[in-house]
Amino acid sequence: MITEKKKQTTLRRNSLGSYLRFMAMAFRINVKSVLEYRVNFMLQFFGMMLNNAAFAAFWAVLIERTGGVGGYGFADIMFVWGFVSSGFGLAHIVFGNIRGLSRIAIEGGLDVYLLQPKDPWLNLLASRTIVSAWGDFVYGFIIMLLLPGIGIERWLIFLSLLVPSALLFSAIFSAAESLCFFMGNSSSISSAISEFLLTFSLYPEGVHAGWYKWILYSLIPSAYIAFVPLHVFQSLSWPLVPLLWGIAIVYILLARLLFRQGLRRYESGNRMDARI
Amino acid sequence: MSTLRMRLRAAGAAAAIGLKDKLAYRINFGGTMLTYALFVFVFSRIWASSLGDSSIAGYNYSMMVWYFIVAEIPLFALGRFFWTLSRDMKSGQVAYQLSRPYDFVAYQFWERIGSALPDLLILMLEGLLIGLLLTGGFPPALAAVGPPDIAAASTGLAGTAAAATGVAAWLRLLFVPLSLLLSGIVNFYLQFALSMTAFWLEENEAFFWIFQKIALVVGTLLPIEFLPEAAQRIVVWTPFPYIAYAPARIMTAFELSGALRLIAGQLLWAVIGLALARLVFRAGSRKIAVNGG
Repeated sequence: MITEKKKQTTLRRNSLGSYLRFMAMAFRINVKSVLEYRVNFMLQFFGMMLNNAAFAAFWAVLIERTGGVGGYGFADIMFVWGFVSSGFGLAHIVFGNIRGLSRIAIEGGLDVYLLQPKDPWLNLLASRTIVSAWGDFVYGFIIMLLLPGIGIERWLIFLSLLVPSALLFSAIFSAAESLCFFMGNSSSISSAISEFLLTFSLYPEGVHAGWYKWILYSLIPSAYIAFVPLHVFQSLSWPLVPLLWGIAIVYILLARLLFRQGLRRYESGNRMDARI
Repeated sequence: MSTLRMRLRAAGAAAAIGLKDKLAYRINFGGTMLTYALFVFVFSRIWASSLGDSSIAGYNYSMMVWYFIVAEIPLFALGRFFWTLSRDMKSGQVAYQLSRPYDFVAYQFWERIGSALPDLLILMLEGLLIGLLLTGGFPPALAAVGPPDIAAASTGLAGTAAAATGVAAWLRLLFVPLSLLLSGIVNFYLQFALSMTAFWLEENEAFFWIFQKIALVVGTLLPIEFLPEAAQRIVVWTPFPYIAYAPARIMTAFELSGALRLIAGQLLWAVIGLALARLVFRAGSRKIAVNGG
């Protein structure tokens, strides 16, 4: 009887609603901590936008000279850069630890998450936000405002695809970081995978040769982060929106599975930490 | 011992410290090498797609690939002095170093350059390999670079002329590492001056970001010949073309007078950078306050 009661309590505690509340709470705390250092926040915010603007200048000059690259015109490139920046930014705002997972595991810092009642993977990822990611996130919206002829429907497509894009980034970054459980210090390979995903997503699909394009639809899913969303945006293909959501959910579940498999190999670091 | 000899010994010791520090953490550089290769590969695809058999502003596919290979080296190997300098300033490490019996600016210069040398060498070799794989040979101006043909040289006048052309091409190729080294010096002094603004401002990264992004657009991602004419006229008066454009231009479109002009420009900016770095440091170091510890 007591066991049954306990089970029910656990189920209630770990229902979807409770996780959403938990995520909202983690987000609020992260935002508060970021705003404690306002100058730093503004600096990183505008710094990241400046970084993206430098590449926009590069594309403007190049496309002025060539007329197009890999089948993309300037507006297409700008959409891809804006959309990918916002997705990448959203992933790092909500799951700020996605690229610090392996460092935390190697230093024995997972214990504190394992002892708390929430899912350790989600708890770990959501316990931090990256300040510069806010600049990335907002950059996409600025691009959308500046692009000519963007109606309400295209805005809706942009917004509806942001979450799958952020989930895909989170899934691949988290999976790459989880390799540390199997390989020890995997920082080089993890950062390479992350760099590959971002770089391949930011450049036109048409420049890539057929012999490795399949990788961009599977292991490094830049296609679902940039190429397919651009197609959806151009042709208003709403049926592809739920498909992209489905693909993103599969990737994120696989990433969580990989983390949980790796967690079995984790040994406590006997470190004293406290989370308040 | 003469002052000059003492200074040279101090410079050598500082460079050796930087070099040893770098070699102790050489695995870390694997990620940089991989990222560098990835960028070169992706941009080679962009140039293949946008240029095909044509050319823009005198640059064809092969030249653009070689241009990008060389232009990215200052960014990856010589472009990050600011962060360590700025970190030392903010952590207070600089207070310990100021009390030591050496010239602070010179010590920092030799230590950072010593630390950057292995990166520079590795990326040059990596770039050479990638460039040969992607384009199948050197750019036209350096096409004669190759192993000296001793057998041909012994066959007569024509053979000797061919061997001489090969040697001349090798000598021309040496301008590239020289220009890269000068690029590192310009880069160091300008970044040093920027990092020293931490004497006045706690958050000074914004200056570096602006510097880095202008350097990226002016000469790193694209040769300056690609920029609109008005922009070209302005940028030649700034140090930015002497960071990435100079070595990359020498590599892709070597021409002696042009190469000498670019090297002279780099030397000039190295001197201006040194003066600026010393000026900012002298003004800033008066503000330092050490409270025991």
